[in-house]
This record gives sequence, C-alpha cells and structure tokens, in this order.
Amino acid sequence: MLRYILKRLAYLVFIFFVISILLFVIWDLTPGDPARVVAEPYAKSSAQKYKEVYEQARRELGLDDPLVIRYVKWMGRLLTGEFGYSIYYRKDVADLIVEPMQNTVRLNVYSVVITLAITIPLGILCAIKRGGFTDQFVRVITVIGYSIPQFIIGLVFIYFFAVKLGWLPVSGYGTPNFQGTGWALYWDRMYYLLLPLITMLFSQMGGTTKFVRSAMIDVMSQDYIRTARAKGLKERVVIFSHAFRNALLPVITIIIGWFLALFSGSLIIENMFALNGMGKLFYTCLKNQDYQPTLALQMFYVLIGLVGNLVTDLSYMLVDPRVKLK
Amino acid sequence: MANEEKTKKTRRPGLMSQLFGKKKALDVFEEEGMESQWQAAAKRFFKVPLNVIALVVFLAIFIYMMIGVLFIDFEETYQDTTQQNISPGHNMLDFPAELDGNCKQIAVGSTFSVGLSNDGKVYVWGKSKITNTIDIANIPDDVKENEIVMVAAGYDHAMALTKRGKVLCWGNGRLHQCDVPSSLGGRKKVVQIEAGHQGSLAVTEDGRIYFWGNESVISFKVGDAQGHIKKAAFCFSGIIALMDDGTVKGLVKNNVGWSQVPADLNDAIDIAASSQAACALRPDGSIVYWGSTEKGLNQQFDMSLLDADEKIISIKGGRYHYTALTDKGRVFSWGYNNFGQSDAPATVTDAAAIDVGYFQNYAINNEGKITAWGLKGYLLGSDGYGRDVFSRIVGGGRMTLTIGAIAVIISTFIGIVLGSVAGYFGGKTDIIIMRIQEVVSSIPFMPLAMILSVVVGATMSENGRIVLIMCILGFLNWTSLCRLVRAQVLAEREKEYIVAGKAMGISQTAIIFRHIFPNVISVIMVNATLSFAACLLTESGLSYLGFGVVEPKPTWGNMLNGANDSVVIQNYWWRWVFPAIALGLCTIAINIIGDGLRDALDPRADRER
Repeated sequence: MLRYILKRLAYLVFIFFVISILLFVIWDLTPGDPARVVAEPYAKSSAQKYKEVYEQARRELGLDDPLVIRYVKWMGRLLTGEFGYSIYYRKDVADLIVEPMQNTVRLNVYSVVITLAITIPLGILCAIKRGGFTDQFVRVITVIGYSIPQFIIGLVFIYFFAVKLGWLPVSGYGTPNFQGTGWALYWDRMYYLLLPLITMLFSQMGGTTKFVRSAMIDVMSQDYIRTARAKGLKERVVIFSHAFRNALLPVITIIIGWFLALFSGSLIIENMFALNGMGKLFYTCLKNQDYQPTLALQMFYVLIGLVGNLVTDLSYMLVDPRVKLK
Repeated sequence: MANEEKTKKTRRPGLMSQLFGKKKALDVFEEEGMESQWQAAAKRFFKVPLNVIALVVFLAIFIYMMIGVLFIDFEETYQDTTQQNISPGHNMLDFPAELDGNCKQIAVGSTFSVGLSNDGKVYVWGKSKITNTIDIANIPDDVKENEIVMVAAGYDHAMALTKRGKVLCWGNGRLHQCDVPSSLGGRKKVVQIEAGHQGSLAVTEDGRIYFWGNESVISFKVGDAQGHIKKAAFCFSGIIALMDDGTVKGLVKNNVGWSQVPADLNDAIDIAASSQAACALRPDGSIVYWGSTEKGLNQQFDMSLLDADEKIISIKGGRYHYTALTDKGRVFSWGYNNFGQSDAPATVTDAAAIDVGYFQNYAINNEGKITAWGLKGYLLGSDGYGRDVFSRIVGGGRMTLTIGAIAVIISTFIGIVLGSVAGYFGGKTDIIIMRIQEVVSSIPFMPLAMILSVVVGATMSENGRIVLIMCILGFLNWTSLCRLVRAQVLAEREKEYIVAGKAMGISQTAIIFRHIFPNVISVIMVNATLSFAACLLTESGLSYLGFGVVEPKPTWGNMLNGANDSVVIQNYWWRWVFPAIALGLCTIAINIIGDGLRDALDPRADRER
C-alpha cells in the first residue's frame, strides 16, 4: 500500500514536470512581448525613456535568457511559492488568488453539499421505483440537465428569476458599497450567489442522479440482495443497509473528485454571473495575455487533476476491499 | 475453424444494414445466431418511443443543417446597421386591408412602413417598435387630427405633411431628426419631405431645402444650390438633389463616391438614391449610374426587358436596389436580391406610382390598390449586426455539427487504436499508453483547450482555427473510449477463438481489427454517440467564452456569446432563445439516442427498464 502510494507520488511529480515543460514551451511560442506591456505607458512620452524601461523590463523579466534557464528559474520560483506577477492586475499572483479562491470554494461547497443532499435520495428513489412515473419523470429531467450546456441553463434562469420576476440580481457577488457586517453581509453574499448556485445545481444534478441511480440498480440486481430478501428482511433494511452502502462506493469517488475540482472553479458560471472566482481569474488573465498568472493557474489545475486521480484511486481501494491496485 | 473464419468475414460488412434493415436470410446456422443479436438490438432500440423521437429529431436537424444550408443564401460577412435586433415575424409587408384600394402613398422605413389613404389618414405597419418606449405605430394626435397629404419614413422616425403645410415628425428624435426648424413654417409651401438615416429634409416650392438631424453622420452643405432644388433623396450618409436645370448635385461638405455625379448629366428628370450610390433618369428613359459598387449597386437595368414602345418614367432606390416604373404601368427592380427585393412581380401592369425604401417595394395603381414585394421580415428575428438569426442558426448548425463530428471521428480513431493496442499487447505498451491516457484525462479540459486555442490559434486564419478546435476536441477526448476498448479487448483476447486464430498463424493486425474489434463495436458506437454530444457541448462552451470559432463565422455557441446581458436577455430574446433551442434539442436528442443504444446493445439492458 505504502509502496504503491510512493510509486504513484513519484510518478505524479514526474508527470507534473513533463506537463510544466510542455506548457512552458507552448507559452513561449505565444506572440506578444511582456516587456512591451510594461514599457507601454512611456511609448508616447519619449523614445529614450521607453527604450530604457523596455530594456530594463526585458532584463528583469529575464526574457533574453535561453529557454532552459528561463524554465528552471520559473520552476524554482513556482516551487518556492513565488507564483509570479500579474501584469494585468499589477499584483503578485499569490495575493491575487486569495479572494477568487475563497469565492470559488464557497460556491462549490454549497453546490456539492446541496447536490448530494438532493441527488442521492432521488437516485435511490428512482432505482427502487424503477419504471414508475417518478422514475420516468426524473429521467427526462436529468437527460435535459446534463444535455443542455450550463450557459443556456444560466440564460434561462436569468431570464426567469432575474429579468422577469426580478427576485435575484443578474450578476455580481455583493451589493456595491454594502455596509452591513456579520449575518447581514453573509445574506447579501448569499443573495448574489443564489442564481449561479441554482444554475450549477441544475446542471450537476442530472449527471449525479443518473450515476446514483445506475449504481443502485447495479447493486439491486446482485445475488446478495436476493439473499437478503430471501432471508425475509424488511425491504427498508435491504435497501439502506445492504444495497445503499454498496452503491455508495462509486459515488464516493465522484464526491472526492468534486472536492478537488472545488478549487478550480467553473469557467462558464463565473464568467456568466461575473463572480470573482478562479475560473473568472483564469479567463481574464488568458484574455489579456497575462502569462505568469495563467501559467501558474494552469499548473495548479494540472496538480489538482493529478492529485484528484490519485486520491480517487486510493479512496476506491480504501472503501472497497475487493479492489487491489498495483 | 474454417466456418468461424467465414462467419466473421460475412458478418462485418453487413453491420449497418443489419442494424437498420433486414438482411437476406442465410441458411448457415451460425449466421442466424449472429444476425439475431443485432436485429434484437435494433428492435429493442426502436421499441422505446423516446428513442425513435430523438432519432427523428436529430436526423431532421442534422439533415436540414447539412443540406438545407445549400438552399439558403447565406453570407457570413453580411451585416446591415438598419436591420439590427428585429423581432421575429413576417409582417413587414402586411399593409392594413382598409388601406388597400384607398391608398395614396406609402413611405418605407427601415423595418416599418407608413401608409397614407386618399382621405388623409395615416397607417403604420411592420416592425414599428424602435425602443421599449418608442413605437412608430403610436401615431401622435396632431397627425391623427389633421388631414395629411404626404408621409415619409426613415430609419427610426416618420414624418407627415399636413394640408396646411405643416411638417410633423414622430419616432426616435434623440438625434434631432424630429426637430423641425422653425424657419420652415410660414415660408413657401413644402413640396417634398424625406426621412433618412438619422435625418430629415423638406423641399419647398421655391427650391429651398431644409435639413435637420444628426449632422455628424449626414454631411450636409447646400451652398449656392439653395433655391434651385426640385427634388432631393437620401443616401445613407447624405443627400443628393435634382436641380431645376436638370443637373444633379450631392449636397455634401466633402465629396464621396455617391456625390460625384457624372459631369455630362444635365437633363435628369428623376433621381433615385440607394445606400452608397445613386442613379438618374433621362428624358429618353435611359438611366445614369454612379457611386459605390458594393452589394450589386453597380448592376444596371437590362433595357431589353422593356417593350419597344415602353419607357421608364420614374425610379426609386432602396438600400441596395432600384425599382423603376414604366409608362405602361409595369414595374422592374434590379440590384442586390438577398430578400427578394429585386423580384418585381410581372403581374403588375397598372401601377401608377411606386414607393421604395430599404428592402421593400410597393406599387400602387390608380384605384389605390397595393402590390408589395421585398423583405417580409425575419423568421427568427435579426441579431445585433442586422443578420438573419435563422440563416445563422442553419449556418452555425452546420459548423457546430461538422466540428463535433470530425472531433468524434478523431477521438474515436485514437481511442480505438490505442485502446486495442494497449489491451492486446499488454505489458510495457499497455503501461505507457495507460499512463498517457491518465495524464490527458486528469488535466482539466477547458483551461487547456483555452490555452491551446489562444497560443496556437493566435496566428491562424479563421478556417485554421476551426480545424484547430476540431483537433483540440479530438485529441483531448479519446481517453474514456481508450479505457473501454482496452477493457473489452482484455476480456476478449483470452477467449478460445482468438487462441485458435493465433494458433493458425493469423497476423496480429488481423486478429485485433478483424476478430476482436467487431466484439468491441457496441461499446464504440455508444461511446461515439455520447461523446458527439459532449463535443457539441464543449465546442459551444468554448465558443461561448470566445475561445472557439470566432465571428463572423457562426456556431451555436458563439451566437450566444453576446447574449449574456440583461438587455439582450429581456428585449432581444430571439437572439438567444432560438440558438439555445437548436443546441439543446440536438444534444438532448443525441444523449437519448446514446443511452437508448447502450440499453439496446447491452445484453443486460433489460434491467435498465
């Protein structure tokens, strides 16, 4: 077990470096000169000053070094927690990501918890009453939920809840100049978070309900369920004690996957509702060719993806003794 | 053994025909067994009504988007500032019935028309809503109360001339196009009123012209022509005037294309102005053209269409076309024909007057009966650049579906090859392929696709970008199929018939692709269908964020790009509702088909229902 984890970790580090090299090279090919962005304000005043600032910026940013040196320097900074400087926001990336990260985590915690609270009972219900009206109805809704892109669901919800009914704000993450503190502040934030949250829930619930339902159906057709029923156990005991526990195994893995994705944020939702989250930050940096934060964020995403994979595998092994990983 | 060989050989090519239709019955025992599996799957699939509906919906959309687009005159770069954000409907030419037979004049505005009856009453029809508060159809009381003798309609305002010689304006007056100059009143009698794009003009009996409106858009300078003007007409950004000596002048500060009138023209009897060009009619019925050549404005009237003794007596200009009236009462239109505005009906033989503007034409006969042709409206409205939403949905659908289909072909191909190689050979090959697969699948997809789109696509042409998007989707999406194929191959390769094949010395490629592969086909079909839907979603997501296919090329995703704005969401709902419906219907249908296929092909499927 320990050997396996170590092996996987070593492999993870290796892959991380391979991807970082690839990304760095790809970014290096991008047209655009960061030094010019720095020197731009002086372009109009005097050519001499512009040239000076430009040269200095090139030196400071180390743009004249060979690719390998630049990569090593960048990686070194990244590993020591220095994620670079955002030219667009004029801030250190480390400071820059604090608030978006908080917003993203908050939004995702709510969405994950609520999604699970709704989808697990719903999936079980559908599996038990398979073929019934509830099941058919939920199936149609879930197909719609996972087939329609998030931004369309968002548009429809904005139309109804914000524009037509006027219940919720269209976008933003808090009333401008809001003075309240404590609960008042919390409710204000929640009020703005509600519409993105509903949109997210609707599009996530489809897939999860389907997943829970089919996991449950799988389990219900197992021999040990028949045995349990043959023993004369109550149906409730069969479902919750025998079936549900086993159906939970595959569900746990997607939950873990989610908790990691929680940090990466949702590109579409955050952009659509102008939420200052990680997805929005990535989008803005990429749009403005702000390469240091973009690279740092992308590496962060890669790390989350790789760690998520590892944790999912490990959790599988932990919760299901039948699985043996090598 | 030989028998088994034969089974595989004959079964493979017949796959599709067995799925979708009956195959001739064969008398070999094994054949029947294999056939019934596919037939049973097809039967199971078609037994569910939802599957059938989904298949029909998807095929209808797919075929229409792929073939229907050929019949639509679709130009990606077409834009028109006068046709922005028009609501859906085909009512632009629907003049009121009470006006028919009693019509004196019709003034054609950008999306609406103003009609005048013989008894001086004003009617408005078409898309008359300019903003939330301004509607041309709200005819002001002083227009209703007075007897009107002449009407004019422009881009977003309308004008009326009362019997007493007073000029009344209504509609959008934000750019002063409704501020009738006080000097106009009490002077000589007004003989002509015209409304244009953000401006209005009036010509008086003594040859003077008055202009009011947005002078930063319409360059206006009358100079020494004042007092000699017989008739004036609006081009998009200025005025041309017919002088009392038969010459034509552009009343502009600086000369532009349409104001440079041919010097030898000195006997004009009528003028017509289009957006960037103009023409003049000579007494002998010939027409002189000048100005821009864009959008068919250089197209000249084919005089041979006229009878020998027939002569043009009047010409009028729309936005990109002209219409002429002959002394025999026939009408002819020529020029750009994207909305049928140049398809003058040959049945009109008694026209007494023509009224033309923008994309519409009306011919009025002596009894006041109206014949209309040209732009009826937009089936699904128009977008913020004045483009027809319907044709963009069709064009965008073709783009979206093509990108999705090619991406699926790429990813399925990679998935099959790598999956079967990994599963069949095992060992080191397997480990390497599976590790690569793991890396690709663990990197969050959207950020990487966006980065690639920015970095690689920065220097690419529009078409290059489209290919790039296909490749990004294809090369990042193969992992799940690869895993599935590998697992299936792993299970298959230990079976007896493969061992037998190996023992017979059949080559490895043949074993993988001709013996193992057919057993994996159901997994592949289901996966390809579902990942087609996934590709459509991803492409539209990318395009929605602005990292996919970019304007002016339409896709369902980038049509929704500008929609994320409460004004558009509420007031211009047709701009997002229709592309959203098209995309949603398509992905829902594909997902239902995919799920249905899986249920039908999986031998254990019965438990699903």
